[in-house]
Amino acid sequence: MLSSIHFSRLLVGSVLCVSASLVGAQSFRVQCPTSTVTHPSAPDAEPPYIGPTYTGTSGYPSTPANTNGAIKCQQISGGDGYATMGDGTQTYMFSFGPLSGLTDIANGLPGTEVPSVFNTLLPTGVYLAPGDPATTGLGALLDAGGNPYNGAVGLAMDIPNLVTIYDISVSGSTVRVVANAPLGVKVGDMVTVSGTGTPYDGTFAVTAATAVNPFFAANLAFTYTDAAAAGQGEITESTTATAALAARIDGHVDPRPILDVGVMNGNIPAPMMAIDEDDEFFLTLTNVGMIMRPDLFEQHTVHFHGYPNASAFYDGVPDASVAINIGASFTYYYLAPDAGTYFWHCHITPPEHLQMGMVGQLYVRPRQNRVPSSTTLGAALLTQQTDLRTACRRPSDGATPAVTTTPDLLCSNPVPAVATTATGGGKYAYNDGDGSTIYDVEYPIQIHGFDPNFHFVGMTFNPEGFSDMKDKYFLLNGRSYPDTVTAGPLQTVAADGTNHFSQPLPSVINITAGQRALLRISDLDVTEYQTLASLGIPMQVVGYNAKLLRDQAGNNLYYTTNSITLAGGESLDVILDTCAVRSTLGNPASSCATPMATGSYFLYTPNLDHLSNDAENFGGLMTEVHIN
Amino acid sequence: MSAMNTKTATSMKRLFPRLLCVGTATAALLLAAAAQAAAPGIKGTSFTLTAKPDYISQPDGQSVYSWGYACTAGNGSAAPSTIPAPSTLCNGSMQIPGPTLIVTEGVAFTVTLNNGLPAAAGNTSILFPGLAMTSAPTGGAVGLLTTEATQSSPVTYHLVANSPGTRAYYSGTQGDLQVEMGLYGAIIVLPATAQTGPGCHSGAVAHYVAPGNSAEADFRLASSAYDNPRSCYDREYLFQFSEMDQNIHETALAQVTARSGCAAGAAGCSLEVPTEPYHPSYFMINGRSMPDDMDPNYATQYPHQPYNGNPHMHPGELVLLRIIGQGRWQHPFHEHGNHVRILGRDGNLLLASTAAGEANLAGPLLFTTTTTPGLAMDGIFQWTGKGLNWDAYGHKPGLTDPLANLPCTPDANGYNSAVTALNYYEWCQDHDKPMQALPFGDVAGGGPVTLPDPNLFTNGAWYGGSPYLGPDATVRATGPTGTTPPSGTIANSPTGEAGFAFMWHSHNEREITTNNIFPGGMLMMMLVDSREFQIDESN
Repeated sequence: MLSSIHFSRLLVGSVLCVSASLVGAQSFRVQCPTSTVTHPSAPDAEPPYIGPTYTGTSGYPSTPANTNGAIKCQQISGGDGYATMGDGTQTYMFSFGPLSGLTDIANGLPGTEVPSVFNTLLPTGVYLAPGDPATTGLGALLDAGGNPYNGAVGLAMDIPNLVTIYDISVSGSTVRVVANAPLGVKVGDMVTVSGTGTPYDGTFAVTAATAVNPFFAANLAFTYTDAAAAGQGEITESTTATAALAARIDGHVDPRPILDVGVMNGNIPAPMMAIDEDDEFFLTLTNVGMIMRPDLFEQHTVHFHGYPNASAFYDGVPDASVAINIGASFTYYYLAPDAGTYFWHCHITPPEHLQMGMVGQLYVRPRQNRVPSSTTLGAALLTQQTDLRTACRRPSDGATPAVTTTPDLLCSNPVPAVATTATGGGKYAYNDGDGSTIYDVEYPIQIHGFDPNFHFVGMTFNPEGFSDMKDKYFLLNGRSYPDTVTAGPLQTVAADGTNHFSQPLPSVINITAGQRALLRISDLDVTEYQTLASLGIPMQVVGYNAKLLRDQAGNNLYYTTNSITLAGGESLDVILDTCAVRSTLGNPASSCATPMATGSYFLYTPNLDHLSNDAENFGGLMTEVHIN
Repeated sequence: MSAMNTKTATSMKRLFPRLLCVGTATAALLLAAAAQAAAPGIKGTSFTLTAKPDYISQPDGQSVYSWGYACTAGNGSAAPSTIPAPSTLCNGSMQIPGPTLIVTEGVAFTVTLNNGLPAAAGNTSILFPGLAMTSAPTGGAVGLLTTEATQSSPVTYHLVANSPGTRAYYSGTQGDLQVEMGLYGAIIVLPATAQTGPGCHSGAVAHYVAPGNSAEADFRLASSAYDNPRSCYDREYLFQFSEMDQNIHETALAQVTARSGCAAGAAGCSLEVPTEPYHPSYFMINGRSMPDDMDPNYATQYPHQPYNGNPHMHPGELVLLRIIGQGRWQHPFHEHGNHVRILGRDGNLLLASTAAGEANLAGPLLFTTTTTPGLAMDGIFQWTGKGLNWDAYGHKPGLTDPLANLPCTPDANGYNSAVTALNYYEWCQDHDKPMQALPFGDVAGGGPVTLPDPNLFTNGAWYGGSPYLGPDATVRATGPTGTTPPSGTIANSPTGEAGFAFMWHSHNEREITTNNIFPGGMLMMMLVDSREFQIDESN
């Protein structure tokens, strides 16, 4: 059904766009820009929240009124790997591994990095070894500045990009260069012109990345200012004139370290991701292939589970979008959604890839963490209401201008019905506006289950059955008790004989007596529901499915319980308060008058058959809470 | 089979490389022309149902002996009226789920149940949790939970719903067997009064009429789910979840066959079908497994499974989901694309303890609506693309295409207020904002992302052909580059529909299989369609 409108547009378009061949010269690559429309400068900064990015109803092309959040980047491998089960069994997985933030991941932290860290190279002459950082040793990998190495694996200086010049001319002091191919410049790039034998030669800052010209498409031309070139004649079809960009970090990678580190390097859970509200997140998935299954040519994807108003393109469902092939990279892009505990997983053949281990953690920290201690949280949340993207209004909520109806049936963070005097400066699970979700320490905990028979068949070339899938390892952060309380990363020897950090995340919970711990609990079991109970410390549930438990009239709907039950595909936020009596009753930010007794407490499953590690009638879905 | 279908079957195998034994027939079904869903049923005050056996079909080719409810002509009227009553409506053959009974809050109605099951199956009955009986059931015989229909004596239940909302009905006799065999259905109770107020539309939402399309009809049963303007909606879909262990059905058939002709109530004229251990391998939404669930309502190839699961919507529309857990297992139903605001459970609207004008909903926002046997819930889903930080319509001023230059005139909430525009309800803060720094088609410049070479990725069958919504933006993005709309996107044509597809499925992922074949089971693709595309739920 090509209408005549479409047809005429095609003709116009084909004239306009000669440069389509520019797309993607490289299969593996990463993306971590240092400047975007939303974050024009200071991409690392996470400035205090003083007002919305856009206050009105319109946005682009206006410059943001306030720059909020930062740019965050991460790279992961999609492939295979091995993990160690609670009974010592080496288990084969389809899995994601870290390709950025290696040191952070091994330390149990998210592998999400700001551009200045992500875009870091290893020192000259230092190379990653297969299995790193387990091979070289945790803490031994340092960048050129002597800091723990957390850069993007494979990142390399791009070769100097050089094009031949078709035409160079000057008008006033504005020099226009028309090249024979796009140089790919942006404003501010330093371009070296040489081979003209005239004052045109030199290095100049680009002032316009495209320029209309009589010869070629506008993006083959650029301009810069050079007073010294004034009055020079036009040079056309020179055989020697070139324009070049210096070698630079632009996402170009060397595939060798990516394959050295990424192959058979899977983690369970997959590399953790954590971003802040208002961040722009660039997640590069690099598909290194599953070396133990050469019969498969599987794609992998990342599904950001629970993202509100997701785009189909970046939703990670291969049927509804595109999926990256082996030997190539795909960068997912999202503006961070509302704060909450999300999670992520591959969406290729989900019953297989999820059971085989392609599941990971992902959470978004609230703006409220960036509210200074001099500001009341209630006032800060009222300020947020002027940002229509996150506003959650109701009549008489105190924000100006007042509204007569609620704007959004699906908005998540209304102003609390009961105002408090709580001020900022703490860490919070949500933009609660009343300080009720304050915590001192946070622990992401992911529930999963492995069926050893399925994993065994998954390592062979036989088709697996789905309906008789039966989990026999019950995992908290990829480990069963007693491994759950083992400090540091667990390592497993892979089929090539090297050790890899397979399960970087312990799930032992350490709380100083009187403090509050936030448990970000997600469940990605693919076969059955799981219950997690707390012995001795009440569980206060403040969030569910990445949303604050609050009704549209602003009443908190938190509840306190001794156990929570989740299906695969659900998440929930629990606060463990180890204070028996607060100095101000009902104020979680007030000092603790009477802390709970120190000692070991337990999180365990009352699904008693899940307290086992395959044949061992001991272990399973259990961990310890240490009140110190 | 035509050459075109053969070619498609090949490409489906490529798209689902682990598909174990998909037949060409299955692949062809995936190609069915866009068929939308609504929540069709029969509306009235007096219903007569007959429980009887027949065979339902599954996408792996199995015919499964089952029991379902049948209705005959004269059982109310087909609803919504915009869906023409099919010839198969209430034609006396059983269906799974049973006929969706549509009644009105406060209006008494009766359900008469005839027992057409094999004599060895014994009595049968229906439970109506959440509904009030206006008088004791008449006819039938006393049973454990309720009055039962015997082989010779039907039972009539006299009922009224005191509140609107979605509810389940199912067999109250030997439920472990009879519900497993298929004796369940839905009751939709409509509010007594039509709601008005912001967000409540008296008719269909205005639809940008692209060349070749006509205005969309109104496929709702009512304007709101409850007696509250915050429950108003623009479209609605009903999903009933159940699972099936084929061994139980085969055993039941064997025993029924062995005891055919026996006299009801006589010694030995009964079934002893073990219902444990339970190993279901079929996981169904509205009685169908994917991809059959995405074929039309009342499709002739499923004479005993009339209802589908194939939701479509335009950006900004309020879409009511009526979700019921039937069967015996819980299923975590994950809605990709956005959260669902739960309105109520089992016909009980969840309201805040303190009212604040209209802002009084207290139901949670869920990205996974976990279905539970016997539990029904109503929720509102909406997709706008708010906050993507790039223009989902791929607008770019300065092009000759007028659709690339559409304005975005924000309302007080920031959404495009031009009701008749193609980009009605666009999120205006992201209007014209590019997604890519290097050119992808002609939507170029300044954006944060660089998309990979199309040769490096695999297209999904429901991929719209570009990151952008609608055929115009997609052709604009892909056509001029010479890459042309990509191949293999057979279920969401880049030049015809180009919607944003979102998978709605059980997150107990092994349940998105059909008898060990992936994909299948409790899975459907929801399409957010550009307003260039006409959503017609009548087919």
